[in-house]
Amino acid sequence: MGSSSALRELQRELETKTNDHSKIQKDISKNHQVRKKYTIQLGENELVLKELDLLSDDANVFKLIGPVLVKQDLAEARANVRKRIEYITAELKRLDATLQDMEEKQNSKKEAIFKIQQRIQSLQAGKAKA
Amino acid sequence: MKGKGTVTPLSSFFSVEDTQKAAKRVQDTIAEKDLELEHLQGFVADNRDLINLVGRLPEHLHHDVMVPFGKAAFFSGRLVHTNEFTVLLGEGYYAERTSKQTVDILNRRGKALESQVDSLKAMVQDLKAEASFFNATASEAAEGLVEIMEDYEEESSSERECPLEQDSSNSSGSVITKHADEDEEFARMMARMDELEKEECEAESHMAQSDEDEQVEHDLHQFSDQKSLHRNLKFSEQSQSRKPPEQTKGETASNEENFTDKPSCSGPESISEDKVSHGNVLASDVKSVAEKDLVSPVVENVQTVPLSRSQVPLQSSNPKFDREKAFTGSIVEHTHNLQTKPREQTVATTQSSASQVSKPVSRFKMQRK
Repeated sequence: MGSSSALRELQRELETKTNDHSKIQKDISKNHQVRKKYTIQLGENELVLKELDLLSDDANVFKLIGPVLVKQDLAEARANVRKRIEYITAELKRLDATLQDMEEKQNSKKEAIFKIQQRIQSLQAGKAKA
Repeated sequence: MKGKGTVTPLSSFFSVEDTQKAAKRVQDTIAEKDLELEHLQGFVADNRDLINLVGRLPEHLHHDVMVPFGKAAFFSGRLVHTNEFTVLLGEGYYAERTSKQTVDILNRRGKALESQVDSLKAMVQDLKAEASFFNATASEAAEGLVEIMEDYEEESSSERECPLEQDSSNSSGSVITKHADEDEEFARMMARMDELEKEECEAESHMAQSDEDEQVEHDLHQFSDQKSLHRNLKFSEQSQSRKPPEQTKGETASNEENFTDKPSCSGPESISEDKVSHGNVLASDVKSVAEKDLVSPVVENVQTVPLSRSQVPLQSSNPKFDREKAFTGSIVEHTHNLQTKPREQTVATTQSSASQVSKPVSRFKMQRK
């Protein structure tokens, strides 16, 4: 009877672990999506910066804020875009770090799940013999 | 008998369903990428059209257009200021540009799009290769292909010659190759024997027509020479049959050396000491020859010419002759030998021996006169 209760406990443990694992996986996929978005934004910003750099100083530059175009200083616009690029790259780095962290967690969870499965199997085999 | 290899059906590694699933997934990604590619190519086409339009607009001062108003309504309008554009750069930034500048911007944008299209195409190609691999694996697994694995065993160079797919076990394979090895060795041995025999014949014929000078002493020593020659041959034969080829060669060489050394040191008795090591013999040789400085170069020369058998008995006879009569005889014969059989000698040794011998020859001739 002791073995069966142990088995039940192990199964419960396995369940929680798999839940954690799937949660981490979900997080990772979310992270991937966010990352994708940021990379696209980074590419767009780089394009904008390139164009702004190519503009002559007397060109009129506007920013769309809500429904209206607001005239902006060219230098200011360039500074803004640069800052944005910096921010995005920093964000991408952070996302990379978290992604690595999550992957490590996922692997450890995977191992734990595997171990529990093995234990359950051995318990079941012992039971079958007995 | 199963042999040392293992045979496993491919379908046990990759189940048919799994491979098919994998293939399907890759196909899905390919379809996704293809869609993306289509999208991008749509952008490229739009961009091209826009460039054309922007380039054409300033050709007139104004254009009559239908202006969209809301979702479904249009009303007629007129496009003025045809050389002024407000270009969306991205991220909510707009810039006022002329038609030409706008075309430049659009061209740059087109280039970026092209590079994206190229990278996407490369990706799709990779995925297609992957998909074809998965499909091939799936079909192979479905057909019941088997994987044959065999441990690679470190084998000796001789055994490597035997083909791996040999059905028989490892040990029998090695036996076979050993036989082959022995055959090869035997063939080599026979070749060596032939060579030696030929040299012997040559030596004999050479003896027959040798100089008048040595005729007398040749008669005297022919018997012992031949005997010693035979003995030497026999010994080399034994050693050959016992040892692998390279070792045999070395041994016969040392054998010859022994043989040639011996007569110079102790005459006929030396034959009984055939197996004395070369070093000892040489030492004794040097000792015995010490009084006659002129003989020692001859011995050295002989050592440099180990292969020519005909020289051996002739030279061996000479020291004996030296002992009994005068030392000079040997030197003459040596030069003679060198002339008749230069084949085995390097140029350097020939020269050195010639230079070494030249003096004695003249002395001999002087003495003879």
